[in-house]
Amino acid sequence: MAHVTAATAPSWFQDKILLGMSLRQYLRSLLTPLNGLAFAICAVGLPLIVYRFAAGLGATTNLSQTQPWGLWIGFDMMTGIALAAGGFTIGATVELFGLDEYHPIERPAILTGFLGYVLAVLGLICDLGRPWNMVQVMVRNGTASVLFEVAWCVMCYTSVLALEFAVPFFEWLGWKKAHGALKKALLALTVLSVMFSTMHQSALGSLYIIAPGKIHPLWYSPWIFVFFFITAIIAGISMVIFEGAISHITFHKLFQGHHVDFDKLSIGLAKAGALVTFAYFFLRLQGVADAHAWGEIKGFYGAWWLVEMLGFVLLPSLLYAYGARNRSVKAVRLAATLGVAGVVLNRLNISLVAYNWNQAQRYLPSWMEIWVSLTLVTLGVLSFRWIVNRMPVLRPMAGSGH
Amino acid sequence: MFGHDFLSNYSAKLIEYALAVAYLVLFVGYWRYVQGGKRVEVPARKWVPQAEPVPVHAGALAPAGWFQVPADLWVHPGHTWARLESDGAVTVGLDDFGHKLIGPVGRVGLPAPGSSLAQGEIAVRLGAEGASVGLISPVEGTVTAVNGAVSSDPERFADAYGRGWLFQVRPPRLEANLKQLFAGEAARRWTEEEGQRLSARMSPDMGQVLQDGGVPIHGIARELEPARWADLVRDFFRS
Repeated sequence: MAHVTAATAPSWFQDKILLGMSLRQYLRSLLTPLNGLAFAICAVGLPLIVYRFAAGLGATTNLSQTQPWGLWIGFDMMTGIALAAGGFTIGATVELFGLDEYHPIERPAILTGFLGYVLAVLGLICDLGRPWNMVQVMVRNGTASVLFEVAWCVMCYTSVLALEFAVPFFEWLGWKKAHGALKKALLALTVLSVMFSTMHQSALGSLYIIAPGKIHPLWYSPWIFVFFFITAIIAGISMVIFEGAISHITFHKLFQGHHVDFDKLSIGLAKAGALVTFAYFFLRLQGVADAHAWGEIKGFYGAWWLVEMLGFVLLPSLLYAYGARNRSVKAVRLAATLGVAGVVLNRLNISLVAYNWNQAQRYLPSWMEIWVSLTLVTLGVLSFRWIVNRMPVLRPMAGSGH
Repeated sequence: MFGHDFLSNYSAKLIEYALAVAYLVLFVGYWRYVQGGKRVEVPARKWVPQAEPVPVHAGALAPAGWFQVPADLWVHPGHTWARLESDGAVTVGLDDFGHKLIGPVGRVGLPAPGSSLAQGEIAVRLGAEGASVGLISPVEGTVTAVNGAVSSDPERFADAYGRGWLFQVRPPRLEANLKQLFAGEAARRWTEEEGQRLSARMSPDMGQVLQDGGVPIHGIARELEPARWADLVRDFFRS
């Protein structure tokens, strides 16, 4: 009779957490230059976050009464949420529109969305301070404020993303009942995710409707909430292609034996990317016509607006179209990179560059604000890597029906 | 200052309408560009079977031996094959299993030269007895040549791996495409499994049959399920 001794069978912790290695082997495997860089960033960044809560916004940021929102809102919140839009974009593509061939990229997109939201919330908490007061939004009836909608959408959608991500998480833990129940609920969760995302992405734009005098007319539009929603879709598509390309290089071992033709999926997404960015380009022109702002195109802000519109909206659209037609994955990846950069640029332009453009005193983030943002991005990348190396995100678990 | 009054400025309205019209007009061209060139079907002459089909006997459906798969081909799970030519082109055809399953056809709709095909996309339409069945392209690429003669020459069409080739493409991402295909021993084994799958569909209907050592006739699907043969073929052709 065969016996499996305790010495030969790896423990649950060793198997699931240490990837089958001993603690010593695992720690040694962490000694890489990139991990060293990540450690250095976090070693400074995490104490900075503690310092911000101890000393306040004034000691750590360059915010003022004129500029109450800075990098943590403009980048971590506005940009982070937009880049997290892949979760609902691909979720809707697979679960609602029935395009099952995109199923292999649904889980990475949901994970990116989940991590994006969690980090955006962390950035928001850094900006707001006094996190114990956050519960107030649930008990106070502040329906007249756009921030009320934003707060509820963030809470609800982060919860929905957590439940969507719980499907691969429970699969990893081997909790079959919980996994089965959530998998059945995935369609309903996707409907909720589309609803909350639509509301949330647009509500972030709605925050700026009340600031027509503060935002440069080339960027301001009463339809800014529509622009935010459309750019979220562009960001979602671009981010899935961009992140997928990096994942396939970084985690190539996880794909061995699983012939998911990610290039083909990228080209399929590129068709959607080309058409959405093309429509968005014309809608932005409508925004300028509506604001009677053609005269503003001359000068620095006009030139900067043209850089955004031509270099980061029209160019990615044309590259997507070229890549989709000619099956050029390189063109599609370049388009996705420009698409991601374009959405980042758009959010930073609206919240920082074109915001308070007519004020004598301009805001520039402090080094501590930049470092905290960098720390949050690093934590996001580290979390993504930790999860996909263990859980069935990029590939199904052996023997599962995923 | 910012003038968001919708009725205040007719010139602004004019620009907005002009932009909307320009967008719609350009969108049509843009959509067509993104979606790639259109395909047309090549009409074929009605083909009259030269001999009565021989009834199929399920007992003779032993795995392997029945269907040929040349070693130098790549086979798609939709029963189309791809052969790499020395000039970089890829020749595409229907495999022996596919030919024996569908049998003689009256119409072969080939893709238009110059059109773009994606891997897994329906590239060819085979028509027979009022039904149409799609054939999947095993690789992606631009169509460089089509074998129009198969439409009018049934014998040529029936030559699965020779003169019956269907079209040629120039593939931009051959390496990635080939990962989705079977080759060599894997192709042979997979064809055997497909034979077994077909055999399993036959047995319940036909019961005990002759062990005559023969080979399957052309048109197994029509013999097996005369009313729903096209659905059976589509199931195996994954179209």
